[in-house]
Formats: sequence, C-alpha cells, structure tokens
Amino acid sequence: MSDNKFSAYAHPEALVSTQWVQDHLPDENVRIVESNEDILLYDTGHLPGAVHIDWRRDLNDQTVRDYVGTTGFAKLCRENGITPETTVVFYGDKSNWWACYAFWVFQLFGHTNAKVMDGGRDKWIEEERELTREVPSYPATDYPEPAKRDDAAIRAFHAETMAHMKAGLPMVDVRSPGEFKGEVTHMPEYPQEGVLRGGHIPGAKSCPWARAANPDGTFKSAEELRNLYTEELGLGESDDIIAYCRIGERSSHTWFVLKYLLGYPKVRNYDGSWTEWGNMVGNPIEKDV
Amino acid sequence: MSEGTPYPAALTEIIELFEYLPDQEKREMLITYADSAAKQEPAEGETFDLEDVRKDEECTDTVGVFLNEDGENRVNYKITLGPKVQTLTKAMTSILCKGLNGSTIDEVLNIPADFVPRIVGAELVRLRSQTVYYVLSRMKAAAKVYRSRKDAAKED
Repeated sequence: MSDNKFSAYAHPEALVSTQWVQDHLPDENVRIVESNEDILLYDTGHLPGAVHIDWRRDLNDQTVRDYVGTTGFAKLCRENGITPETTVVFYGDKSNWWACYAFWVFQLFGHTNAKVMDGGRDKWIEEERELTREVPSYPATDYPEPAKRDDAAIRAFHAETMAHMKAGLPMVDVRSPGEFKGEVTHMPEYPQEGVLRGGHIPGAKSCPWARAANPDGTFKSAEELRNLYTEELGLGESDDIIAYCRIGERSSHTWFVLKYLLGYPKVRNYDGSWTEWGNMVGNPIEKDV
Repeated sequence: MSEGTPYPAALTEIIELFEYLPDQEKREMLITYADSAAKQEPAEGETFDLEDVRKDEECTDTVGVFLNEDGENRVNYKITLGPKVQTLTKAMTSILCKGLNGSTIDEVLNIPADFVPRIVGAELVRLRSQTVYYVLSRMKAAAKVYRSRKDAAKED
C-alpha cells in the first residue's frame, strides 16, 4: 500500500507497513510483539526477533478481572527487552484485534512509543515474508515502574458507561449485527461464553469492527473510515465516544481506528463490555433495533 | 480400551505422555501434532462409509470428518481442516486420529472428554479455546450417525 494511505490518517506514526517492519527487523530500538487469539500460533512461526505477549497470561491480572498493575507491566517490559525508549510494534492474527488490544494496554501505562503493523500476521504471510520458530532472548532492561496505570483517559468502566448512556453520548457497539440485536450472545464461530442476556446498551449504535478492515486485514483508508464513522454513524469531531464489544478486544480495534486513524480526541474502550453489561442484574438493555 | 481407563490404549498412551511433560515441552509437542494435521486428510480417491464436511458456528473454519469401518468393526477416521482453524484444533485432530483409530464405534461414543485438559494443560484450556473439544464432538457425531444408518439398514 502506498505511503499516501498512511499519511492521510490523523496519526500516521501509529501505523506501519509490513515493509517498514521488514526494514526495521535489525533495529535494536524496535521490539516486534506478536499478540494473538490463537494461543499457539506464535509457536508455529513468527516474525524474526518477535516476542510473544499473550493477552490473558501477560496483560491480565491472574485473579481479578483487570489488567496487570504497574509492577506487572514493568516486569513484562523488562523481560522482553523493552525500555521506555523502545518503539514497540504490535501485530497479530484476526486483523490485529489482539495487537490493538495490547497496544491499548501499553497506552494505559503511558508507553506511547508504539505502533501497529497494518494487516497483521496474515498480510506478512501473504507476502511470503520470513517466519521463524526461533524464540529470541533479549537482555533484561530496567524499565521503570510507571507511576500509575492511567485508566481515565482511554478506558471506560461500568459506572462511566452507564453515565454516558444516561447522558445520551455516543457509544459504538462493534459486535456482529446478531449480537447487537440480541439474537445471539456470542459472535459467529465462537462458543457461548457465559453471557446471560442479549442485546445492546440503550442508545448505542451498531458498527461492527470488521467494517473498518479490508479483506486482507489492513485498515481501510482514511476517507473510507471517515465515511463510515463521521458520515454514516454521525460521530462529531469533539464527541466523547465509548466503544465496546464482548470483552474489549474487537473494540480495541475500533478504538485504534477512531483515536489514531481518524483523530477523535476522546475515545474510551469499555473493556468490561457485554460480558459485564449483559450479566449485571438490572442493567438496561435494548434489543431488535 | 486400556485397562482401568475409559480410553483406547493409543489415546491413553498419548495422555500419559503429555500429562508429565513440563509446560514448554507440552507446547512443543502440541505444535508437532499440529504440524502433522495435514497427514490426517483422506488420500486422493479414498472412499468412506460416512463423510461429514461442514462449517459450524462453533468453529472458525470448515471441518470434514471421514469415517470407515473395517471388517472387525474398527473405525478409521480422516479429517480435513480449513486454513483458519486454530492451532490447538489442528493438534487435537492429529491426537484424536492417532488415539481413536482402531476403536469400535461404541468405544468412540463412550469416551469422556475429560482427557483434553490432561493433554492440553490447564493454561491452554480457557476462554476461547473451547474449540479444542470440537473435533472430538464431530468424530462422535459421525460415529453416532454411522451407527444409526447401520442399524436402520439392518432393520430393512
């Protein structure tokens, strides 16, 4: 894809091409990170020098439904040879769902020197670029523990989402149409994973995440994305927006699109998403819209 | 069946091999099995007593189950997997073909699924890895349909 595609985005520095990554494989200041849904995919072959960060094992707290704290994040970075100055480039399967999720978690801890590889793992393979099974090892760093995990700016909790709904502020439900309408409580091709009620948060607009992606997993052009979110969905320039899905990974993809590719200044990901909203006693739910 | 277990001997052997492997070696073994999933596909021109190729909601791609029964009432499975199938599903396909081929229909139908975490490990059996059970359920479903057809043919 031409450089013109990238330069038209609001924050072109947040997205890089497979060629850019290829060119920077030997760069000691760049750390390539693979994050997937398929938990064994990294083991079957990955980009040379890429480390594996697993959303569940590495980014989630192992007891409470939450992310790791500042200590856990610093430890993760140290073990993967990441310093605060390292440019971290995320890629993965499923059109970069989990890469965007990992990118988002890194932003919670203020590691802003981060990028996503357009097209993810599938595009790299489609272009017949090199894969290896060799697991790299990098010298541990002394990544300092961040002062805090800054949830406020880019993460929405249940209470904030409820207030958002009551205020009639824009919310984007990025799940499949069937999930939005309440016909099913899981996405197609996935098992039922324990959501008790179907539907969506009252007032939320449906815009499945996949509408922002091309068939090859790359992001659509800035113009196409503007048509989708600004024109069709009617999101205003200064809107305070919350995106959600089922557990927050598909909405990380949309969050990335809205914040970095289109430049909306205030976008939050409600990672509790439908598994929290659809299970909580007494929550308002809308169906069949 | 393997003595003292509800599993065929070949499957018991695989379970016992995995159960005592450290996590990293377990992952490596799973990748080895996943790599050999393509070997479980039918050979060109091979015919079967039952063929069930479909794309279900529960799996990310099409899975084909092909079943033959020999003269001694032992079944032999071949499996085809679409390219989007997860790595664990590929691994389980190889494991199940190796572990169940040569069993009787009844043996296949009576195998409890509780061996899966013993092979895969607790870390990998988690949210969104439920498709790890999918291939076993399809193999059992094929066995059930085949037996029903066989019983119906006898009645005719």
